[in-house]
Amino acid sequence: MAAIARPREAGRQEAGPRRSYPVWRWVILIVAGVYFLVPLFAALRFAGIGAFGSVISETGFTSSLGLSVRLAIVTTVVTIVLMLPTAVYVHLRLPKLRRLLEGITILPIVIPPVVLIVGVLQIAPNFLKSTPYLLALEYVILAMPFAYRAIDAGLRALDLKTIVEASSSLGAGWISTLWRVVMPNLRTAVLSAVVLTVALVLGEFTMASLALFQTFPVWIVVNDQTSGQVSVAASLLALFVTWLFLLLITMIGTRQARRTGGGQVTLFVVARQQTRGD
Amino acid sequence: MTTNTARNTAATAAGTGPAARSGGTSVLLQDLTRAFGATRALDGLSIEIAPGELVALLGPSGCGKTTALRIVAGFETADTGSVLVDGKDISSVPASRRDMGMVFQSYSLFPNMPALDNVAFGLRMRKIGASQRRKRAAELLDMVGLAPQARQYPHQLSGGQQQRVALARALAIEPRVLLLDEPLSALDAKVRLQLREQIRTLQQRLGTTTLFVTHDQEEALSMADRVGVMRQGKLEQIAAPDELYQNPATAFVAEFVGVMNRIPGELQGSGNVTALGSTVPVRGQAPDGATAVDVLVRPEGLAMEVRANGNGIVTTRTFLGSVTRVGVLLDGDIAVQVDKPSTEAAALAPGSSVSLSLPAEPVHVAPRQTADS
Repeated sequence: MAAIARPREAGRQEAGPRRSYPVWRWVILIVAGVYFLVPLFAALRFAGIGAFGSVISETGFTSSLGLSVRLAIVTTVVTIVLMLPTAVYVHLRLPKLRRLLEGITILPIVIPPVVLIVGVLQIAPNFLKSTPYLLALEYVILAMPFAYRAIDAGLRALDLKTIVEASSSLGAGWISTLWRVVMPNLRTAVLSAVVLTVALVLGEFTMASLALFQTFPVWIVVNDQTSGQVSVAASLLALFVTWLFLLLITMIGTRQARRTGGGQVTLFVVARQQTRGD
Repeated sequence: MTTNTARNTAATAAGTGPAARSGGTSVLLQDLTRAFGATRALDGLSIEIAPGELVALLGPSGCGKTTALRIVAGFETADTGSVLVDGKDISSVPASRRDMGMVFQSYSLFPNMPALDNVAFGLRMRKIGASQRRKRAAELLDMVGLAPQARQYPHQLSGGQQQRVALARALAIEPRVLLLDEPLSALDAKVRLQLREQIRTLQQRLGTTTLFVTHDQEEALSMADRVGVMRQGKLEQIAAPDELYQNPATAFVAEFVGVMNRIPGELQGSGNVTALGSTVPVRGQAPDGATAVDVLVRPEGLAMEVRANGNGIVTTRTFLGSVTRVGVLLDGDIAVQVDKPSTEAAALAPGSSVSLSLPAEPVHVAPRQTADS
């Protein structure tokens, strides 16, 4: 055996270093898989395939899902419109304020949503309290830590100052530079921000519940009282649709990144490819 | 650029270039000052650049050369002073309306656009039609020898190719002034040399007034019509490269440009200095106070002959082609370099005793440099 083993080992060494996958990696993967998939499988068994068919005809399903989607769109648009120019401006003109801005944007994570919504409901004017779009304004605050970090990571991966100055020297004004040069190069980062914002809005329960608006997560909880199986089926459906949506955005971003040499769509890190060294 | 097509395109471009269009653009930097906190980056800088001239600003890091360029480009504002282009003060004109092409030190191509669109960007901003700007961009890419790379994105290009695209992009808008901010410093030696020649050839063909910032004296001396040597925000001297090398106005310029030996000497009262046993006149202003100075002499300026019990011993010998650079250790452990025609240097083997003497013409002197300074 030893005589046979030696040439094999020698052959491995000659072939250069090989990636090894220690057993513990597989153990962690399997444990994590079981942790995440078993509840989903249990929920699927509880709901039964038939419940999926009746989800759509369930009272309140369409309106609550529609509301959540509208809120997701409004929140995303407001977040990007506010966050992108702010982050670009701070990077370019006020780099010393970056740490302060990072600190401010982390606050919504520190302050519980329940505190935020109770405070807002105390002081918000009546016309705002009566519209569900009040939630969109709240969600913009909630999404701020995630959106800012995604955009900030994209800006750090760019030589922003140089490309803005290059654009300016070629005759582009501020808006043209932002639209034609900065935005396209931040597409991956902006997509990451969109992914995070949409996921947050589609899953937010506390604020919507306290503000008495029936968003999709609220509908699932309310419906759970009367029809548990349909509610669980709706949850699973929402989960898969959200996954599909996120997967789609990620694929679009990654395809764009491959073409232009930009980074992959990840949540907080956008690593740009290096220039060829020769 | 080595192809006939490239030459023809360059000629075409020259026909529509700024020199042909307007006879070139003059630039005047007038008494510019700029401070960053307590640091004075520019301290009364004045330079006049003639139409079609390439002026290089040369100096050590922090001397203010890049600040001067950025003020001309419109990315910085001067505390006092003004920038005049063709006699008009452009200090209040934003960078986007200055009509100046700029090539940056770091790679500045837009990552989201292929090379062709990068070159066409400035034309697009000038509302030139799509077909016309593509044609013009293709011509410019051809001119820098990168026509086959037109559809490639910046990350698919090498550093040298990226800087050539950046040059084409800057020239595509037919700028009144071309600004080059150390465009070669990130490139390896071979590419740097090629691109250096390419930039100079294009600049001369197009007649574009150019301001070029570099800390590399070889680059400045080989490319520029005139070189301005800067130190602590001030212009020490501006002159043609040969003038700068042969007749430096100050000790700083003498030492910064080219190779310079420092030989200990003693100032005499009559504006002379004594070193290596001979007394010669001092050029320019001698340092105040101390009489102990260093005499500055170039390797080709020192006379050397083989002599037993001379004042130095040959330590090294480096063949440089027509000349050989001989390292000599003088009495007192002073190391100097002397250039000799290679035909004469054969007799100067390491260990030979030699005698060195100063040239008869006036020499620059600088404060004595001790081991601590």
